[in-house]
Amino acid sequence: MEQGVAVIGTGQTVFRSVDREWTYAEQAQAAAKEALDDAGLTPDDIEAVVFSLAPTAFMGIAEADRWALDYVWGNGKPTMRVHTGGATGGSAVHAGYSLIRSGIFRTVLLVGADRMAETPDAQYFLNQVWDRFYEKDLSIQTIVAGAFLGQQYMHLYGATEEDFARVVVRQRGNALNNPHAHLKGKITIDEVMGSARLSYPLKLYDCCPRSSGGAAMILGNLDMAKQCSGRPAFIKGLGAVSNTVFLGDRIVSPAHPDLIGPMLEHQVAANRAYERAGITDPSREIQVAEIYDPFSTMVHPALEMMGFCGKGLAAKLEKEGAWESGGMVYVNPSGGTLCTNPISVTGLVRNIEAARQVMGRAEAMQAPNVKHALATAVGGSGQFVNVTVYGEDYL
Amino acid sequence: MSEKRNKGESMVIEDSWTARYAYPVGQVAGKFMEGLKQKKILATRCSKSGMTYLPPRAYCERSFEKCDGWVEASLEGVLEVATIVSAGFEGSPKPPYAVAYVRLDGVDTAIAGYVRGLDLSDLEAGMQRLRAGTRVRVEFVDEPKGRVTDYYFVPA
Amino acid sequence: MSMDVYVIGLALHPPAKRIIDKRLEEMVYETTRAALDDAGVSRGELDSVVLASSDEFDGRSISSMLLAMPAGAYLKDEIKVADDGAMGLCLSAARIRSGDFHLGVVASWCKSSKTDVEGFMRQKCDPFFTRPLGLNSTVTDALFAQAITERWGIELREVNERVVAAYQRASRNPRGMNHPVPTQSEVSDSPYESTPLRQAHRAPMTDGAVSLVMASGAWVDRHRDCRPMARLAGVGWATDGYQLGRERLSGMHSARIAWNMAMEQAGLASAAEADVVEIESQTGFHEAAYVRAFGLDDHPGLSPSGGPFAQNPYFCSGLINMAEAVLQVSGRAGRVQHERARRGVGHGCHGFAQQGNIVAVFESVEG
Repeated sequence: MEQGVAVIGTGQTVFRSVDREWTYAEQAQAAAKEALDDAGLTPDDIEAVVFSLAPTAFMGIAEADRWALDYVWGNGKPTMRVHTGGATGGSAVHAGYSLIRSGIFRTVLLVGADRMAETPDAQYFLNQVWDRFYEKDLSIQTIVAGAFLGQQYMHLYGATEEDFARVVVRQRGNALNNPHAHLKGKITIDEVMGSARLSYPLKLYDCCPRSSGGAAMILGNLDMAKQCSGRPAFIKGLGAVSNTVFLGDRIVSPAHPDLIGPMLEHQVAANRAYERAGITDPSREIQVAEIYDPFSTMVHPALEMMGFCGKGLAAKLEKEGAWESGGMVYVNPSGGTLCTNPISVTGLVRNIEAARQVMGRAEAMQAPNVKHALATAVGGSGQFVNVTVYGEDYL
Repeated sequence: MSEKRNKGESMVIEDSWTARYAYPVGQVAGKFMEGLKQKKILATRCSKSGMTYLPPRAYCERSFEKCDGWVEASLEGVLEVATIVSAGFEGSPKPPYAVAYVRLDGVDTAIAGYVRGLDLSDLEAGMQRLRAGTRVRVEFVDEPKGRVTDYYFVPA
Repeated sequence: MSMDVYVIGLALHPPAKRIIDKRLEEMVYETTRAALDDAGVSRGELDSVVLASSDEFDGRSISSMLLAMPAGAYLKDEIKVADDGAMGLCLSAARIRSGDFHLGVVASWCKSSKTDVEGFMRQKCDPFFTRPLGLNSTVTDALFAQAITERWGIELREVNERVVAAYQRASRNPRGMNHPVPTQSEVSDSPYESTPLRQAHRAPMTDGAVSLVMASGAWVDRHRDCRPMARLAGVGWATDGYQLGRERLSGMHSARIAWNMAMEQAGLASAAEADVVEIESQTGFHEAAYVRAFGLDDHPGLSPSGGPFAQNPYFCSGLINMAEAVLQVSGRAGRVQHERARRGVGHGCHGFAQQGNIVAVFESVEG
């Protein structure tokens, strides 16, 4: 059964460090309400709900989706919660896609929020994700893992810290066009280079903030897409892949070819998505890429692994403006995860921003003539990767 | 329906949560930890895929068979990637310190550990000595207790 | 192309009050490997892995970081749900029905013994209204018990009898814990935990794991040597509101919605048309409530496995019920086998006082 799936509405709150005026449940509600209004629907039109909710330790409320259920008009409906760490928001899109393609539901609301700074102990919790016996004693944590990635890329292709800094400068500047972004502004390479060192080569400005806010997306089948005013964005292709948690398996030299390469997972997931979407030349056919990048070191390897350019070339192309508006592919017009990271919904925000480009509703961030836009989400030790390609039509 | 309240003093409720856990070590990690006490690093091997794993696994992710052999890893190997940590993190040692993934000779995957015996005050110089491909040795503390901090790497 | 969904293999980890000689990863690997062997397929053939687990029960944030690979997910399209083990079956079924996936594993596990369960339950409370009152699963199950007792005039004697009968059925289940069967007075004399709930009314928590292998009709057609265990005829799920109150506690709304959704898909008019119905009765009160909500009065096939009184790895008890239903309709249930079981229902509930309910209907496969 061919069953197209369309994005028919989206909503986001303005992301910031701390939200004192409303609770998690209220943030999720605000995003859901905005998505309903955007789609021209009422809560009764929603047939199922998927909660996008990663570790709740930051918010300090276990299974907070259960609390928020009434706020998003989920009472009495089929609801489920997806949790794949940082990849959660993208996984929620994939789950919603399956629910509609199964023919059981005509509409699905994807919704969630996060409040990363509700506890000062966020880093303590991020440290808990590593293997208790082999890794936790070594303080391997997310920033160190991002640092390893940068090191690898520098070693393989001669990239420099300034190359990574250029990503930050571009994206913080892009975020000025994004009313929802947490961090935004005109900064310089020198300012990035001068920011506090964390774990070589990462400095403070190479890393994402801890954000608070909510996001929502409504998916509909073909009939719903026809009924809704405005141009929907269709999910044309998607792919996801999971790899082992152990970084040491994924960075070694080619004893076993399937093991190697920085961010190899992006290649596998993107190829699965491209096959479904009928994409053969990403840099020509995809005009916008919203890439999940809590660290500046992730952008260039991701672009290369997903076939936007040859290996080792992304940093050079950065200098030539290839990833800016008007360049080859507009990368993270929203500012990306580097500018906004409410972990539970960050992946959803990537997908929302990509979809809105195709819908023609990206406003100040809008790229011209967008035929396809791509979104990624990454979780775990960089081991969970999902890729979604949006287009003007399906099939 | 939610409405944004006026900015100003907003009430906050404080709470804290400590959860207690008891993690069974299992046989494989248990044997690895015992090996550390004897100043050995033990890896598991899968004869079907031919992979040797550190950290040791009970089963092979690729062949999906139980690992059926133990291998004592060489105490020398090649550094795959490293970083010098400058920032203080809760629960981490006082900076600066270096962490690296090293592939010990005879093992297919890399295992993590602290790198000692290096001057880390000059980051660039330090990172030069920690470049991928550098040969390193494993050293053990005098009285290993069965934790991964029983060993560390030093430049060979 | 057939949109049918089949279960072609499964495995249950031997249950125990406390499994201490294996890490969780090892339990999950062994169970998933056994399910693949049962199905006669290799991990390489899979195109989907759906995990269902709870970080809080696993004692790790993002527990799937370590547990995805043991569940067979290496370089596969893997996703995790966190509501309940049975929810994994719902998402896996949707994936296969969509036509985008053809052979998938659903894996769930729970080491209840590993963690401070009630501490985590209390953490589920919103910090403003309910946490200061110390609501947890004991208190909310008690509120549920009280509400349904009042609504339906349920007598304590019925509850006690149900508990004893469940233990009796459980004692014949080769896959269960073989708990000693209490007497009625042992049940009625056991100390109160929170009125009206007594200690002996509650199914004891255990450690365990369960994995199933599901396939599309197209896959089954292409693999003629495969004999599916069961066809998934219908699946339904729904969640009630968070705030507890009389109607929420005793109205059984999400239970009925989930039940009706599954039964309608399966084309069944009532419980009488199902040969066995495996209910997640965490307490004797739960059973009394579900019997009324689902129309199971005097049903000859009520929870032949003993349900949670046989084994209760809390997070995956619903999925285990579904596995038991599959075993029944495939004739592999052993000592608790119902003769000529052709349709079996598996039910799971989750959240405070059965906030969410999940129902799956399985049919045996001819030939």
